[in-house]
Amino acid sequence: MHAIDSLLLAIAASTPLLLAVEGEVIVQRSGIINLGIEGMMLAAAMAAALTHSFLGGIIGAAAMAAIFGVFAIILRADQIVAGTAINLLALGVTGSLYREMQDAFARPVARLAHDLVVPAAWIVAPIGLAALLWRTMFGLRLRACGENPEAVGRSVAMYRWVALAIETVLVGVAGAHLALVLSSGFAENMTAGRGFIALSIVIFGRWKIKGALLGTALFGIAAAAQYALQASGIGLPFHLLLAVPYVATLLILCGITGRVRAPEALGRA
Amino acid sequence: MKLEHVSKSFGATIAVDDVSLTVEAGEIVGLVGENGAGKTTLMRIIAGELEPNRGMVTLDGSVGFVHQHFLLVSEFTIAENLRLALGREVQFDRPQRLIRDLSVGEKAKVELMKAIAPKPRLLILDEPTSVLTPAETSELFQTIERLAHDGTSVLLISHKIAEVLAVATRTVVMRRGRIVADGKNMSADDLATAMVGVRGAPPTPAAPRKTPARSAALHFQNLTVSPGEIVAIIGVAGNGQTELATTLRDTLPRRTTAHIPEDRARDGIIAELSVADNLALGAKTSARTLIERFDIRTESPQQRAGSLSGGNQQKVLLARELDRRPEIIVAAEPTRGLDIEATQFVHAQMRASADDGGAIVLITSDLDEAFALADAIHVIYRGNLSDRLSPADAATNAGRLMAGLQ
Amino acid sequence: MRRLFIGAAAAVGAVAILALSGMAFGHPPGELLRILLVGSIGSPFALQATLIKTVPLLLTGLSVVIAFRAGVWNIGAEGQFIVGALASFLVARFGLMAALLASIVAGAIWASIASLLRFWRGAPEVLTTILLNFIGFHLLGYAVNGPLQEARGQYPQSEVVPPKAVLPAIDGIHAGLLVAVILAIAAWVMLYRTEEGLRLRATGFNPRAARWAGVNVNAQIARAMAISGAIAGLAGGIELLGVTHRLFERFAAGYGYSGIAVALLAQLHPLAAVLSAFFFGALTTGAGELQRSANISATIATFGQAVVILTVIAFGAFHARD
Repeated sequence: MHAIDSLLLAIAASTPLLLAVEGEVIVQRSGIINLGIEGMMLAAAMAAALTHSFLGGIIGAAAMAAIFGVFAIILRADQIVAGTAINLLALGVTGSLYREMQDAFARPVARLAHDLVVPAAWIVAPIGLAALLWRTMFGLRLRACGENPEAVGRSVAMYRWVALAIETVLVGVAGAHLALVLSSGFAENMTAGRGFIALSIVIFGRWKIKGALLGTALFGIAAAAQYALQASGIGLPFHLLLAVPYVATLLILCGITGRVRAPEALGRA
Repeated sequence: MKLEHVSKSFGATIAVDDVSLTVEAGEIVGLVGENGAGKTTLMRIIAGELEPNRGMVTLDGSVGFVHQHFLLVSEFTIAENLRLALGREVQFDRPQRLIRDLSVGEKAKVELMKAIAPKPRLLILDEPTSVLTPAETSELFQTIERLAHDGTSVLLISHKIAEVLAVATRTVVMRRGRIVADGKNMSADDLATAMVGVRGAPPTPAAPRKTPARSAALHFQNLTVSPGEIVAIIGVAGNGQTELATTLRDTLPRRTTAHIPEDRARDGIIAELSVADNLALGAKTSARTLIERFDIRTESPQQRAGSLSGGNQQKVLLARELDRRPEIIVAAEPTRGLDIEATQFVHAQMRASADDGGAIVLITSDLDEAFALADAIHVIYRGNLSDRLSPADAATNAGRLMAGLQ
Repeated sequence: MRRLFIGAAAAVGAVAILALSGMAFGHPPGELLRILLVGSIGSPFALQATLIKTVPLLLTGLSVVIAFRAGVWNIGAEGQFIVGALASFLVARFGLMAALLASIVAGAIWASIASLLRFWRGAPEVLTTILLNFIGFHLLGYAVNGPLQEARGQYPQSEVVPPKAVLPAIDGIHAGLLVAVILAIAAWVMLYRTEEGLRLRATGFNPRAARWAGVNVNAQIARAMAISGAIAGLAGGIELLGVTHRLFERFAAGYGYSGIAVALLAQLHPLAAVLSAFFFGALTTGAGELQRSANISATIATFGQAVVILTVIAFGAFHARD
């Protein structure tokens, strides 16, 4: 019983991660690689903490996404560098705002008790997103944007913006959930690399929604093992345990048996 | 379809120069011309993909366009590709097959279906036979004739005069962006003359070379090349030529082998580097000397290699590779897209290298080139090489071997 | 010439945006600019602080220049910096030279983990280098809270390095500055005057064509990663032995990521990186002054870096569309 409880808890705790993975699968399927989800989630977390709302989180994510979209989709700039810049931007802005508005953050943020986000992220969203990708004309065209944009014609940019918008909502909710449910407000750097872990899980899951669920669940369990180990008093010192999630992610990236095939046009300007 | 005084430029380059053309229902018009004559650009204007700078395009119905480079998504099934292009379900043989598992000819059929399913009034085909076997080509021509009979007008771009004459009711010749000939009963000679502007010189016959009997420099599957020999590998594009060149590149010792890759712009020249830098990647001799020796037309050794013309880029590649006096040379489509002058230069270089003792593998889809240069010929089909043939044998059997028969 | 313009525009743009955003919090932009300028180069003390910050920025910048030039996404300078410093600390008892060498080797090894994973399992280095940053960061946390913690155990920091391993300094500016500038020149020579550099640039521009030209692309990439990591590791070692003299939790302070901004502003040119690093050094020092006198968070400098990067690639994007 106890084990199953902790398992479910671990999985629930990875909900922000799952949302990010789901969002990035959609975006990468459309041919864009968004390294900036880390920054988006961070901005979302801060905006949600400030406004004490999920909508605030989405708006925070949207601000970063809009800038990224301009550079990646309209200007066709290098997507990796643009994503990295977004992360630095979010880091700089949230860091500055956090110190600038110390008083605003000093107010204790009541933790939200009930939570629709977890079932939405683990059940509703996967079903909806998978259906969108694989059973609709829209999804077919979107996937074609990621494989051979020339075969789609003129509206490739539109599909990519829509994909980015979907990701924005998901990541906005993720950041808000992180700040308002899993923690009590904003803390500097609170996303702690979830964005990059999400990117790794997207690859592990072979750009599929099913893979997203599996990968995140596996990761959640591995990460939870860190706390279990700590609680049981086994060897590893606290700080090294903090490194476990990242080592686990490295292993996830290595655990790709056989060559994975990314969407053909991924990252191409 | 009617074009009136249509012109189109890309920056300083005039691609289409004051073209007027009328096509009636049921006509099959063959559009011929050398590479760079403006055929594809003109077709793209008719199809609505490009806007002309001047002139008017009048269409009486929709246009179907079969592109030279397929716009198919390899990872999708046939059904998905058709649904993507047409927005609805269409009948096709075994539509659950993935595009990447199809042969080139089958992919061409899918691409054709995309164009004709909406029942266009005008169908444009851009170099459709460049990747088809003779049998598939005649199947295509039957389809074209059927469509024309039902009232569709067909515009067929090709640089293969014989084929165009076989199916077209009327031929139009383009050169340097203008229409230079337009008629119904032109002969092959008429067309050839109009295409290049002068009577084409007959291909220079290979001068008999005295090669002392020496052991083979290159031995690969059933391909054997001795020093001083030129062996040509011919076949319809897409039958494993690229894979063969790549395998040879990865297995032969770099120090003594030279490679001229098939796609000179993408795989040969590094556009962002200077001419001198490109040369230095393979050659030891100074850039200035090489530029002079190979007659590379460039403003300076520091000029960006990407801004050179195709012919000069090929010269840079040759200089880079041949300076080492390699024992083996693997050249893939070395004269693709080059004008007569550049082509003759490349051929002369290859002969000189052979005379110098080099063993040359020439992968080409240009049969004239193969017969002009080669001492022996293999035909490649679906990745497999035929037995070694003398040029005479090849001349008789090439067609069948290229189609996979015999 | 065009590239000079882009660089200047990006730098000016960033400062302008910074000044303007200060307005949002009630600070007149002119005032902000004055503080930035004076705080960074307006006094010998400020200049010294700027030059000291220039050193790690220049080195991590060079690290990124080499990697990006080879077409490798080394976003791991931060972790390589930390690991370099850790190795330096451990070897410090054997003297300065040994310690610096250790930092070079450690940085190269840390970066090569990512290379290995790329070649062995196809793991994209853009992600593995970032993950290694996090791992390195926690490794440092473990070290200064545990085995390497100072004897009296009060703060999460290490002991001071022995005097024999301290970088000599003149007027408060340590020899690391000289090392960094020499390295910048060496990098330039390597990239533009040697065959290795030519192959590296070829690999970065067009790996397919480079392969056809006979370059062993995989080996080239591995070497570039190792060199890149080595320089970033050296940056950490020098920062330890020349400036902080002890390890502590926030040792890296984002120098690894800043290196990306330095490299891009310099448009991947090693000599321009010197100017670029100085610019960002000044920005960081000036931002510190902003915090002291105007109570504006110093993280505004990170914001400035992001703006610079975005400006530079915006121009690059227009260029690509020509």
